[in-house]
Amino acid sequence: MITQMKVRGLMFDPYNNAYIVILRDEERSDMLPIWVGKSEASSISFALEAIATPRPMTHDLMKSVLDTVDAKVISVVVTDMKDNTYYSKIHLMYEDSEYSIDSRPSDAIALALRTNAPIFASEEVIRKQASEELDQWLENLKPEDFGKYES
Amino acid sequence: MEQTHESADLIRLKVHGVLADPNTETQIVILRDENNADILPIWVGTAEGNAIRLALEGIVTPRPMSHDLIRSFAEHLNIKVSRVVVTDVKNNTYYASIHLVSEESERLVDSRPSDAIALALRTHSPIYVTADVLKQRGGGNLDAWLEKLDTKNFGKYEV
Repeated sequence: MITQMKVRGLMFDPYNNAYIVILRDEERSDMLPIWVGKSEASSISFALEAIATPRPMTHDLMKSVLDTVDAKVISVVVTDMKDNTYYSKIHLMYEDSEYSIDSRPSDAIALALRTNAPIFASEEVIRKQASEELDQWLENLKPEDFGKYES
Repeated sequence: MEQTHESADLIRLKVHGVLADPNTETQIVILRDENNADILPIWVGTAEGNAIRLALEGIVTPRPMSHDLIRSFAEHLNIKVSRVVVTDVKNNTYYASIHLVSEESERLVDSRPSDAIALALRTHSPIYVTADVLKQRGGGNLDAWLEKLDTKNFGKYEV
């Protein structure tokens, strides 16, 4: 089983000096935070805010390579989590065949946002997400930490 | 002016190393021709510099980085990166093209040189620059910058 997720936001995590992409399901009952690096976060924020950069960024290039050969991103799926590392697959359609390619969720999300492809998470990943730990962590966050991401 | 990028107008370059620019937050990719006669420094961001450095040093990361993913797309879809070319420089911004060969037809994709180089190193594709760009490179800025560079930075960051 997989659940469709939307990117709800991007936050700066001052404790880990990293960024968090917040994915939520349509009913907003499940939440999946994914820690990403600075450059991945800025790539996602460019896509979220529809900011066109003067030169193509790495994920724009990624899309451009796929467009050039008429390959289509069908969906991306966050498939697993092990030792705090998330795994995902990018599903491509190319010449009537489907390909499933291993990627980091940050790349998958940055690409999905640029190609309007749906983002899914497996039930397993959502279940594995330690919600207690997350709640505790969120409680420690100060309001000013929200919206502190760079665009 | 001759604008076609025929082979005769192209100079093959090797990535000589990636340096941290001590004066800014950026990194510099040092490209050299095969005779070490010409040098082309290209300023890139930290993430792009790291992507190039990982490939130069042959470091395999536990999870695929962005340029590994592009290579993976190419491998799965049977697309060959035949070469990358630094094609132009305007207002200190360099432009590059990635040449893709798919089903015997060649297609060009516009890219930043940093992405083109990071991908070329991962796909073992040759890197070229047009003679015109090499002629226009750096100039006074480069000399001023090189003077400021402490020689110990070379030893520290060069690959």
